[in-house]
Amino acid sequence: MTVVAKKTNNDGNVPLERPKTRKFSWDWLGVAPFFLFATLFLFLPSISIFIRSFQTRAGEFTFENIIALFTVSDIINAYKTSLTISLITAVGGALFGFMLAYAVVLGGLPGFLRAFLLTFSGVASNFAGVPLAFAFVATIGNAGLVTRTIESIFDINLRQMGWSIYNITGLSIVYMYFQFPLMVLIMAPALDGLRREWKEASENLGGTSWHYWRYVALPILLPTLLGTAILLFGNAFGAYATAYAFSGSFINLVTILIGAQIQGDVLYNPGLGNALALGMIVIMSLSMLGYTVLQRRAARWMR
Amino acid sequence: MRSETDRSLSAWAFLKGKNSGSKTSGRRGLNIWAWIIFIIGMIYFFLPLFSTFLFSLSMKKDQLSFEAYRLGFSDPDFWQNFGFSVMWAIITIIASLLLIVPTAYWVHWRMPRLRPVVEFVTLMPFVVPAVVLTFGLIRLYGSPPILLIGSPILLIAGYIVLSLPYMFRAVDTGLRAIDVRTLTEAALSLGAGWRIILFQVIFPNLRVAILSGVFLTFAIVMGEFTFASLLAWPAFGPYIELIGSQKPYVPQALSVVSFLLTWISIGIMQRIGRGAVQEVAGAH
Amino acid sequence: MSPRRKPAEITRREFLKLSALAGGATLLASCGGGGGAMSEEAMALLESGNAIPLEQLIELAQEEGQLTTIALPPDWANYGEIIETFKTKYNLKINELNPDAGSADELEAIRANKDSKGPQAPDVIDIGVGHTATAMADGLLAKYKNSNWETIPMKDPDGHWWAEYYGVLAFEVIKPDIPNTPTDWEDLLKPEYKGQVAMAGDVLKSNESVQTVMAAGLSRTGGDILKAPEAGLQFWKEMVDAGNFIPVIADAARIAARETPIAIQWDYLCLANRDNLAGNPELEVVVPQSGVIGGPYAGGISAYAPHPFAARLWWEYVMSDEGQNLYLKGYAHPIRFNDMVKRGVVPQAMLDKLPPAENYAKATFLTVEQLQVSNKYITENWRKVVYGE
Repeated sequence: MTVVAKKTNNDGNVPLERPKTRKFSWDWLGVAPFFLFATLFLFLPSISIFIRSFQTRAGEFTFENIIALFTVSDIINAYKTSLTISLITAVGGALFGFMLAYAVVLGGLPGFLRAFLLTFSGVASNFAGVPLAFAFVATIGNAGLVTRTIESIFDINLRQMGWSIYNITGLSIVYMYFQFPLMVLIMAPALDGLRREWKEASENLGGTSWHYWRYVALPILLPTLLGTAILLFGNAFGAYATAYAFSGSFINLVTILIGAQIQGDVLYNPGLGNALALGMIVIMSLSMLGYTVLQRRAARWMR
Repeated sequence: MRSETDRSLSAWAFLKGKNSGSKTSGRRGLNIWAWIIFIIGMIYFFLPLFSTFLFSLSMKKDQLSFEAYRLGFSDPDFWQNFGFSVMWAIITIIASLLLIVPTAYWVHWRMPRLRPVVEFVTLMPFVVPAVVLTFGLIRLYGSPPILLIGSPILLIAGYIVLSLPYMFRAVDTGLRAIDVRTLTEAALSLGAGWRIILFQVIFPNLRVAILSGVFLTFAIVMGEFTFASLLAWPAFGPYIELIGSQKPYVPQALSVVSFLLTWISIGIMQRIGRGAVQEVAGAH
Repeated sequence: MSPRRKPAEITRREFLKLSALAGGATLLASCGGGGGAMSEEAMALLESGNAIPLEQLIELAQEEGQLTTIALPPDWANYGEIIETFKTKYNLKINELNPDAGSADELEAIRANKDSKGPQAPDVIDIGVGHTATAMADGLLAKYKNSNWETIPMKDPDGHWWAEYYGVLAFEVIKPDIPNTPTDWEDLLKPEYKGQVAMAGDVLKSNESVQTVMAAGLSRTGGDILKAPEAGLQFWKEMVDAGNFIPVIADAARIAARETPIAIQWDYLCLANRDNLAGNPELEVVVPQSGVIGGPYAGGISAYAPHPFAARLWWEYVMSDEGQNLYLKGYAHPIRFNDMVKRGVVPQAMLDKLPPAENYAKATFLTVEQLQVSNKYITENWRKVVYGE
């Protein structure tokens, strides 16, 4: 080992440095339990998903499941529907969620309403799946509170008129219940990060409120906005319990299809289910990646 | 895809945004649009809750009563399954904390470059559909050489995986809010041993952060259905499903109660949280 | 620098010791305890698959001490009472797993617990007849011909499974919302029922819903089983186009909320629901005049049952006159119904509580092969035909 000029302490003696390799290995020990756990219970099952998607029911190797993803009309439609509903609720959720966040942070509403909305948003996340689906059925379903009220006020029969919430529109409305809070929770701190000085500087330079938003605020917020919208997209795409509780397998979504293949009484092709899951993992990973990248860009301004 | 509860990322984001204060960046005059938006939002959020509440009161024919609530809470199976799930939740929380806190601390202090990797791992439960994950786990560990299915180990492991993103995010946020390196090195230079550093310097500052992670893990375990039912362990989630298919009105009553309890708990956490954040700020 | 060691500095030896300990502990934990040894003659008794004399069976079962069941909700065909009576009569404990499980879940539970004799392994199962093919193919069932074997009309000749009870699909009608009760499948297409008809299960996952399609088809083809799946899908396509079909799973909560005024479900579930809701809202149960499909459920014993004798005792009880009458109390027709009625062992009071017998006489029972073929056809073509996708 060559002797290179080393750092010295005040004594002028060359301190003995631990050889780099050994220090490295002990540090890894600290994170070993975590990675062991992750390997056993996250990586291995995920890898098994990957492997099984190339297996037939009998266990032989095949590409048929993957090919089915692109050829079976049922599956293509499932992806289409899932993507559609995710897009709708991502955009809609981002827009209205942003407006809600803006209203409580910058909109001149009393301060306690902000805390109220934020705590409520935290709770709204607990209210998904069966209870959420039922809540909307009880509200705007065929025999729902609002439906019945409208019927009695206007003396019409909405059912006969073809009223039904059991379609993509209805499900989107239900999804918004957890999309809006998500947007609010992420945008509220981001709006906080808009420093007052920037607004004042803009005004000093003669800009109107529109100028401020167009050239200062929105560009700063855009990464967070987009990133969260992508997050909402992934969130909706992965939703299962709410969709199933709402309309069973009758609305064709990827997550529902996966459930049917893996758990079903009648359909039973775990290889296909895993292949579907693989496709979903790809989409979800992309959306997570998009979100993380945009978050880092946004973080630059929020320090 | 998350568990049955569709634990949305709201909760996860909730943890991220927790430590931001409420600095207002300039109040404008009373903005009518803000009020309109807010009221529309409130109508949207509260109507479904109200309908559920109304339904839960309708167990007896043609009259409003709390019969559903009475039935729900007087069922001995309710308390038994509730008790089991509470037990699973506590075990999960402890195991999860033991797994995550040292790791997060270690990463923050010694291996900051590993943070993205660890973060990616903790985001994986979001990316992999829960149904598939649970089936994968059962197949992997249901037979020799590693036979885990006879004991609740697999159940707890599954719960830990499901709650991983939230627990890690909570601890990570907490660690970021306190300057880990400075605190640790200051304590070290004052001659403190590791036990003191961990238990009297780091953990007290993490208390509030951990609290939100604990709370969310608790909610996840209580509401989780797939794993518990597939592994056939007694738990609250499957019980609610069963009651739902047999006795209408009761699950609605239970969900109203759970909503209220959750709201109260979060409210309390907000209050505690505000106090603790000020403490930490004062320490500097 | 502090002379005290930092945790990172534990010596290599200590590290190795720790990991050996951890590894050893895991290995020990994962080696499940072995089952108790069974005597030669006991094994022989089990292998033969023949009925075991009752006193001997009770003794052997009580030695085992408990039975593990799966997927038996208390409100389904009166399983609650059956289980309770069995417990007290033979002084055995019953460990009820996962009442919500579907047939596929039950088979999965057997597969997953092949090597574990723990409390998660089911002893006895109750599955849709269509699933017996998979169960047999995967070798999940043990053989046993209980003492009432001869009078069971539907069974596997070798004794791997036998039908326990059946119901027929019926219309569960919420009286306050439906002034004119439909009496047959074609009635459901009438415009007055717009947005009112629902299935009680999920068509891709539940046997019940697939049979709903099949039954509608049978009604249309006048009983031609081969053409029924196609006709059934066509029927439901018309239902969707007319807007009469609500794409929702009609569970108890939805029926109670009056969201699904007409739900199609097994008659015993409809009737149990009617009793449960006790008039809030008021329900009427109608068996359609044509397209009456019988839905038998099959019982079996897990090939890996931890308590094989208790399992056999269970079946002795359930398939006896007493057990079968308990099914009837829950509105499910015991499979030995005809034989029991002939011998006059069915209480008249129970008979009176059932819907009129004429409609049941028309019930069609599909064979396992027919079920498999029709199920496959319906689930694969549902979306294509009904939604045109």
